[in-house]
Amino acid sequence: MKVKIKQWNAVAQWRWDTGNKDAADDEEGDVCGICRVPFEGCCPSCRVPGDDCPLIWGECSHVFHMHCLLKWIGTAASKQQCPMDRRPWATAERRVDNAPPPTT
Amino acid sequence: MLKIWSMKKNEDAVAKKKPKTSAAQIRVQKDLTELDLPDTMKTHFPDPNDLLNFTLTITPDDGMYKGGSFVFSFAINTNYPHEPPKVKCTQTIYHPNVDLEGNVCLNILREDWKPVLNLNSVMVGLQYLFLEPNADDPLNKDAAQELIKNREHFLSNVKQSMRGYNIKGVQYQNVMG
Ligand SMILES: [Zn+2]
Ligand SMILES: [Zn+2]
Ligand SMILES: [Zn+2]
Repeated sequence: MKVKIKQWNAVAQWRWDTGNKDAADDEEGDVCGICRVPFEGCCPSCRVPGDDCPLIWGECSHVFHMHCLLKWIGTAASKQQCPMDRRPWATAERRVDNAPPPTT
Repeated sequence: MLKIWSMKKNEDAVAKKKPKTSAAQIRVQKDLTELDLPDTMKTHFPDPNDLLNFTLTITPDDGMYKGGSFVFSFAINTNYPHEPPKVKCTQTIYHPNVDLEGNVCLNILREDWKPVLNLNSVMVGLQYLFLEPNADDPLNKDAAQELIKNREHFLSNVKQSMRGYNIKGVQYQNVMG
């Protein structure tokens, strides 16, 4: 049998690299713990996901939508602590893991 | 430029007329679909269109408060989950961690709240108060004193209060319904 390609449709998908390699093991791994919207979606105050609604990594390795985290850090009750582990929040330079930086 | 401005204004006007679902509502909706409550807890929505105000009834099947039916009101404001839900006991009950106005002393509703907690964690925490009332950091000091001094006597006070008796001049509410 010979297949002749007449037409093809490109399908592209993107996702933030959250450094969570075991996403399958961790059901909540790809959801922002604050708004519970997947990282691929945007935070509740944005309309369009992507670069306008970036993610932010803490040195504790927790990830959130940047807008969600900043809103929390802005509240007095947060005491500037991570919403996950209540350790003092320190923004990491980039995602915290051992993988080499993406080569794109 | 002018046109864009007026279009923008129209958009704003529309947005004001028909408020879009707020972040708090979206989050609450998710929390509610993820609720995984034991048979001892039931939620009730007096207004099904208002997910931000509801009650939770806890009927402990174990511990000193077994047999009672305790109703808590939940009021969630637009800052949820950055602020915890406001939870109050709607009855006058005899409990070291609940005052006579219904205010509840539960760390995750106060200083230990964090946005990654959800309604399920709050509800489970509330139920825990009935299984393990604790005398540290009490809101009802008499009850806490009694719990420390004489557990048997505390238990008998609990049982009496649940039937609507008066203890030390305080009229408690019958919760045996
Ligand atoms: Zn978020
Ligand atoms: Zn955003
Ligand atoms: Zn953290």
